[in-house]
Amino acid sequence: MDMFIQGTMNLFGDWNTLLIFAMGLLGGMIFGATPGVNMLTLGAVVLPFTITMLPEHAIMLFSVIYCAGVFGGAITAILFNIPGAPENAPTCFDGYPMTLRGESGKAIGAAVSCSAIGGLASAILMMSATGAIAGWAIRAFGPQEIFALIFFGLAVSASIGAATLWKGWLSVLAGLLIATIGTDPVGGIARFNEGSLLGLSFHSYYLSAGIHFIPIILGFFAVSEVFAQAVNIAMGTRERPKAGLEFPSAAEFWRVRWTMLRSVGIGFFAGILPGIGATLAAFLGYSQAQRWSRNRQNFGKGEIEGVVASETANNAATGAAMIPLLALGLPGGALTAMMLGIFQIHGMEPGPLIFINSGELVWITFAAMFWANLLIIFLGWLQTKTVVHLLRIPFRWLAPGILMLAIVGAYALRNLFIDVWVMFIAGIAGYLLRRTGYSAAGIVLGLILGKLGESAFTKSMQLMDYNFLGFFERPIAAVLIVLGVGAVILSIAGEFRRVEQQKASLD
Amino acid sequence: MTERTLDGESPRPTSEFWRSFAEMAVWLLICGIVYSQTGLFDREIPDYEFGATGWPRALCIAAAFGAVAQFCLQRIVARRAPENANAKSGAKSGGDWRTLAQRAAVFVFPLLWLYLAPRVGFYISAPFFVAGMLLLMEVRSPVNLFAVTAAIYALVLLFFTRLFFVALPVGRIEAFYDVNVAIIGLARIGL
Repeated sequence: MDMFIQGTMNLFGDWNTLLIFAMGLLGGMIFGATPGVNMLTLGAVVLPFTITMLPEHAIMLFSVIYCAGVFGGAITAILFNIPGAPENAPTCFDGYPMTLRGESGKAIGAAVSCSAIGGLASAILMMSATGAIAGWAIRAFGPQEIFALIFFGLAVSASIGAATLWKGWLSVLAGLLIATIGTDPVGGIARFNEGSLLGLSFHSYYLSAGIHFIPIILGFFAVSEVFAQAVNIAMGTRERPKAGLEFPSAAEFWRVRWTMLRSVGIGFFAGILPGIGATLAAFLGYSQAQRWSRNRQNFGKGEIEGVVASETANNAATGAAMIPLLALGLPGGALTAMMLGIFQIHGMEPGPLIFINSGELVWITFAAMFWANLLIIFLGWLQTKTVVHLLRIPFRWLAPGILMLAIVGAYALRNLFIDVWVMFIAGIAGYLLRRTGYSAAGIVLGLILGKLGESAFTKSMQLMDYNFLGFFERPIAAVLIVLGVGAVILSIAGEFRRVEQQKASLD
Repeated sequence: MTERTLDGESPRPTSEFWRSFAEMAVWLLICGIVYSQTGLFDREIPDYEFGATGWPRALCIAAAFGAVAQFCLQRIVARRAPENANAKSGAKSGGDWRTLAQRAAVFVFPLLWLYLAPRVGFYISAPFFVAGMLLLMEVRSPVNLFAVTAAIYALVLLFFTRLFFVALPVGRIEAFYDVNVAIIGLARIGL
């Protein structure tokens, strides 16, 4: 507690620190809530300027951008069906239908409050037991457990956002296949960088580096949504969203208390595992909320519990993601990887000794994350009352702006125009897949977890001497695999049961 | 050949069968092509038995299995496609040539711009892209067209060129290059 108070005093006692904190908070919220750009864009833009900052200021700035950015991404997901980051994708499923019903304020209000609750719980857990949790996670979670967790996560989340179970699985498999483009994780052999078909052949250096997930995400979500709305305008079928300023009531929050609690646990657990991060946390939180909810039939049609589940889980992962970064030097995602870069820029090495050698840095970061999450409630409430008015601007005016931001965001990533091509091709593919009931979110989930899953699988196979039964010699991996297989069997059985019910109603 | 729908109201056309079949065929074709392309990097890795092809090939097989399973289940269910249910009154006829052309232009216009932008430069082509998209979004008022285009262009220049120094393409054709550089200079006046 003393350390936390000291960190808070360092944060609020110095104007420079406070200014950086405020800039990070507002910047994260604005970039997160702007369609086409996200917290990673802000991180990439700000990174060079951190060279001249004190290391504790730079790390604190990025941790605040992380908290605020994950929350901000929910706003575009709810208002425009365009998630600001992959971890906000499940928020679209219920947030956007709520907007169409005129309950945008309620959806954003739920996202604000639950983001803050998830983030605060995560920050408190992070402050209480970083060292112990990091040690446990690394001892207990080897490649077998990581692979088993990804398998379990995909097994329970695959059908989210798709018309049927099979379309969900095919979407995830498509994402996993796209993730294989680039070098293989063991031998470094380039895959799919050249091709030969019907006498035609090609070779691409661009594909040797793999396809970056940012242009794909912008394409599948932002570009395909603009295309879908443009086609609806052409067809005269566009449904106009309605602005609503109503905040969720206390009774509504009380009704979803267990969902919140469950999502905090899921988010925190997923967050502490390097590489798994907030995306799987959000999908798992959403799928488990759907599984246990009394209103499961309303999920995907504008159920507030869906927004609560995904936003609590993804924010609960933010604090947890700092644990492996600070305690072990293992980044859990793109933004934490940038933080690792900051440590390197300043000649520091994260690890257990950082708590002894750089206590001020650690505690100013922890305090900043705590206060950022607390302030999100207030600023988020203000944002709810103001940002909802964006819906009053005709979408046909906003759409070219969204595309412009997406173009700049995709291009600025590596200064390659081919990334913009990838984004638009993904946009067209996303539009077609959505029209046929496939899930853009499933593809992105597969794409993000694909490389990590393959890497964990190859390491597992080498460690287990290619014996698939070796997974069952490790208790955590065995439980996760069994649960994953069980989830698949139950889903298939559920699909068949639905068919039988439909047939029975026909007869 | 017709089938009864699950709601039992209307006869189900054969096209539904062919649609499901085509969906499966597309998936199998993609899986087949991807699988065949794995042969180009089918090299042994000393420390890893499955090689570089093991994982992508397993995914191809799983996707092919999923596509076939989906087709079989669709045949069992034979239910109406969601789009049919979503048809709304007041929709323009999809067969109207103007509507069809507008729908096609939504996808073709950005690709055309993508081809031209690196050649003529982002700064020259961006306002035309914004105005073109506004027209496709059925913004017809000249005042709105001009004002929205100018506002978006000004914001892009302000944030990305003046504040964040994002290096956007300046064109490969000399005359356009000069104009693009001049626009950047204008955006950064006073810095």
